[in-house]
Amino acid sequence: MMQAQEEISDTYNSSSTLASVIATIESIVQDWDLDQPVDASTRLVADLGFESIDLIQMAAALEQEFGRPNFSFADLLIVDGRYVDDLTVGQIAEALDARI
Amino acid sequence: MARTLFIGLDGVTFTLLDELVRELPGEGVAMPFVAKLMREGFHAPLRSTAHPLTPPAWVSLITGRNPGHHGIFDFVRSEDRITDFYWTLSDRLDIRVESLWSIASRQGKRVVSLNFPMMSPPEPVNGCLVSGFVSWKHLRRNMTPDGLYDRIKAIPGFSAKELAWDFQRESQIGEEMTQAELEAWVDHHRPREEQWFRVAETLLAEDKPDLFAVMFDGTDKLQHQVWHVLDPRLIKNGMTDAEKRLRERVLGYYRRLDEYIARLAELAGPDARVFIASDHGFTASTEVVRINRYLGELGYLAWAENDGSATAKRREDANFAFLDWTKTLAFCPTPSSNGIVIRVANEPGHPGVPPEQYEAFRAKLIEDLLALRGPDGGQVITGVMKREDVFPGAAMHAAPDLTVTLRDHGFVSVRNRAPVVESRRIIAGTHHPDGIFIGYGPGVSNDHSRKLMNIVDVTPTLLYSLGLPVPQDFEGRVRDQMFTDEMFDENPVLFGPPTLPVTNARGAASSGVSEAERAKILEQLRALGYLEN
Repeated sequence: MMQAQEEISDTYNSSSTLASVIATIESIVQDWDLDQPVDASTRLVADLGFESIDLIQMAAALEQEFGRPNFSFADLLIVDGRYVDDLTVGQIAEALDARI
Repeated sequence: MARTLFIGLDGVTFTLLDELVRELPGEGVAMPFVAKLMREGFHAPLRSTAHPLTPPAWVSLITGRNPGHHGIFDFVRSEDRITDFYWTLSDRLDIRVESLWSIASRQGKRVVSLNFPMMSPPEPVNGCLVSGFVSWKHLRRNMTPDGLYDRIKAIPGFSAKELAWDFQRESQIGEEMTQAELEAWVDHHRPREEQWFRVAETLLAEDKPDLFAVMFDGTDKLQHQVWHVLDPRLIKNGMTDAEKRLRERVLGYYRRLDEYIARLAELAGPDARVFIASDHGFTASTEVVRINRYLGELGYLAWAENDGSATAKRREDANFAFLDWTKTLAFCPTPSSNGIVIRVANEPGHPGVPPEQYEAFRAKLIEDLLALRGPDGGQVITGVMKREDVFPGAAMHAAPDLTVTLRDHGFVSVRNRAPVVESRRIIAGTHHPDGIFIGYGPGVSNDHSRKLMNIVDVTPTLLYSLGLPVPQDFEGRVRDQMFTDEMFDENPVLFGPPTLPVTNARGAASSGVSEAERAKILEQLRALGYLEN
C-alpha cells in the first residue's frame, strides 16, 4: 500500500486533476477540525475518517467539479467484486485522469 | 401577488391531525394555530405517489411530476454490476425535471427553501437553499449561495450537529425500542426542529422572500416509533402509565411545532398565503413481511454466503439485499422501496431472465406475490403495481419492475430471517398514501369537503399563489375548490411554457435535450418574458 501511494504521489504531484481533487476534499473536510493536510498520499478512511456518507458526498462533489455526471464511482470502490477498504487522494485523481 | 409561505410536515395525516386540532380531555388543543388555519381556510387529503415514500413524494411535491418523470424512487439507487450491486444515495443530480425553486427563481421571484430532501448538491436559486437530510459534516457545501453557512452559523444558539441529519440515529427507525429509548428518541428530535425554526425565522425576517418554504421532518421520525400512543384507534381502550408519559412528551413536540408555524405565519404578514402539506400519511403496521425470504423460498433469489468476515456481517445487517448475484433473478433491493427488481439477461452468460421470457416471468411472479398468506390465512400483499402503470415517463426504467402494497401499508424486510410473515410485538407507524393539504389567506376558500387532492397539485398551487403561470407539462392542477370565485375571477389560472429541461442530471441524456437546445429554449422563454435577464 505504501509503495503504491509513493508511486501515485510521484505521478500526480503536478497534475491539475490532483490539485482539483485535493481542493474538493479540502472543501469537504473544512469544518471537521482536522489537522491533517491533504495530499496525494492522504487516505480517506485512515487519515480523514471518511464514512460511507462522506464517500457519497465526495463522489457528487467530484461529479460536479469535473462535469462528468455519468462517472461511476463503483469502478473505484469495487475491485474484483469486493469493496475496497480505503482509497488515497492520488488514486482518485488517477482514476479521474484516466477518464478525462 | 401575496407572499407565499409553504410549510412541509413530513408524514402528517388527518387521522392524527384531527385529534391534535380539537379539545381533548385533559390534554387541551395541541395545535391551536393549525386548527385556526383549518377552520378558516381550506383543507383536504393529499394522495401521495404510488409508493408513498419520502424521497419520491417530496420530489413530486416540489416538481409537479410523478416519479416516472422526475426519476427518484427510493433513498438509494443501484447499479447492477452482474456479479455485484453498487448502492449509493439518490441525490439532486438524479432528478430529471425542473424544481419549483428553479421555476420561481428564473421568473424573478425570491426564494428560500429549507430542509427538503434530495436537494443535495444544491442548485443555484434566486435566494437561499439549504438541502435537507445532510450530515453536519457536509452542511456548508449543501447550501447556496456562498456565505450562507457563515450567516446561519452566526444565529445565536446555532448547532450544526443538532440541525443536521444524523444517519446513525435515523437508521434506528423501525427498530423496537425500550420506553427509555422512545423517550430519548422524542427528546432528540425537538432541538433539531428548534434549529430549523431558528434558521427559518431568521431568513424569513431578513430576506422577505416571495416564496418561503421549510420542511419539518421530526413528525415522520416520531410517528414511526410512537404511533402506538398517537393513533386514536389504538389508544381508545386506554394506555399504560408509561405510554401516557410518552404521549405527553410527543404532544409537547406538536405544541411546539404549532408555535413555530404560528410565528412563521406572523412573520410572513397578514397578507401572506400559508400552505401546509405532507408527503404522505401515516397508519399502523402490525406485521413484518420478509419479502426476500419469500422470494428465496420460491427460488427467485439465492442468498450470499456469509464467510464470517466483518464485511459480510456488515452487508448482511445493512438495509440492502445481500444476495448471490450470479443466481438471483428477482429481489427486493431495500426495505424502503417495497419494490421488486427483475434482472434481465441482456447478454449471454449474464444472470437474469431472457428478454423474451420477461412478460411470462413477471406474470408468474405477480401471481406468486399475491398468493402470500399470513399466519391467519389472509392475503398479505394486496397490490402489485407494474412500473409502466404507476410510473410512466422517461425515468420509468429506473423504477423497480414491480411495487407491492402490503395489507397494513407496511414496509417490507429484506433480511434472511424466518418466518416470512410475523406479527409485530409493538405496533409501528408506517406510511399511508393519504397525507394532508391546508391553505389559508387572501383568496383561499374555506371549503371543508375534503375532496382528495393529488401530490402533484401542490406545485401548480404554489405557482398560482405566486402569480406565475402553470407549466404545460405539469401533471397536477390548481383545484377549483381551493380558492374563492372572486380570486379566480381576478386572477385566472394561466398556463405557460413547459418546464426547462435539466441537463446536468444523471439521466438527462435520455431526455435528448442538448445544451444548444436548452440555450434555444431559454432564449425563447426570455423573449416571452418568462425568464429574467
